[in-house]
Amino acid sequence: MSVMHVRMDNRLIHGQILVSWNSHYKIDHLIVTNDKVASDPLQITLLKAVTPIGAKVSVLTVADCVKYCLSPEAEKENIFVIAKTPEDGWELVERGLNIPMLNLGNQAFVRNSKKLSNTVFLTEEGVKALKKIHEKGIKITCRMMPTDPENEFWTTIEKTYPEWVK
Amino acid sequence: MLDALQMLTGELQQVAALGLLESEAPEDLIERVRESINSMDDGDGVLIAVDLFGATPFHASSRLFLESEKKIEVITGVNLPMLAEIVVDRQELSIEDFVKHAYQAGMDGIQMLPDSIRNAKSSLK
Repeated sequence: MSVMHVRMDNRLIHGQILVSWNSHYKIDHLIVTNDKVASDPLQITLLKAVTPIGAKVSVLTVADCVKYCLSPEAEKENIFVIAKTPEDGWELVERGLNIPMLNLGNQAFVRNSKKLSNTVFLTEEGVKALKKIHEKGIKITCRMMPTDPENEFWTTIEKTYPEWVK
Repeated sequence: MLDALQMLTGELQQVAALGLLESEAPEDLIERVRESINSMDDGDGVLIAVDLFGATPFHASSRLFLESEKKIEVITGVNLPMLAEIVVDRQELSIEDFVKHAYQAGMDGIQMLPDSIRNAKSSLK
């Protein structure tokens, strides 16, 4: 089955993933991907320790994540990828991960970010990364929960950040 | 929950209630918990009680457990019976015994309706 779902979520593995998404998909392998997280031993220890759902957990750089997802080993697994930011999402695509859809999850308020919804705040770099993803023909959704509608979200992003999508 | 707790126990010192905001970054929550610990710990240690194992507040607390020099303990599944039971005698216990006490109190705090009440219903009919 390989990669079932790619979510961009700066909370990484958290309550919504463990409770809702895991019962929606049968996740065998949760891959957290972000270069900074992959070089933080404390965070790796925590992410691996706190997943009571029985799935395997890996914390990989974006390059290693793509390499793994394209390997024969990945074919046998139901993989749920959590990238931290839209920039990570774009890097996954750029490095050759072949996916029809990318889901925008929680993106907390950070400096210079602007509000899209109560749970999503995007920076100019983030919007530009999403634009590149969109221009590749990949659908962008914005679903916190599996029950949220799967509609194309790019038009909303375009409308919310006219100065950044130029 | 802190308000409810203080209705039972009266005003408490060295207690804080922190919530994760919907728009808050995990890194910001870690800093708020760290500040809160620094403002209340007198050296005996701090117990952080969170709800869901694996959720963001649990991550933040566990990270502080790993990186802080202070004595920090973390317990999940926080409930009001747990807190009500443990805040009363916390001065006498070491942080290690305190967290064990909290664990037991949290479990004992969950009860199904006792038969005495169940049976009373059928006799009412």
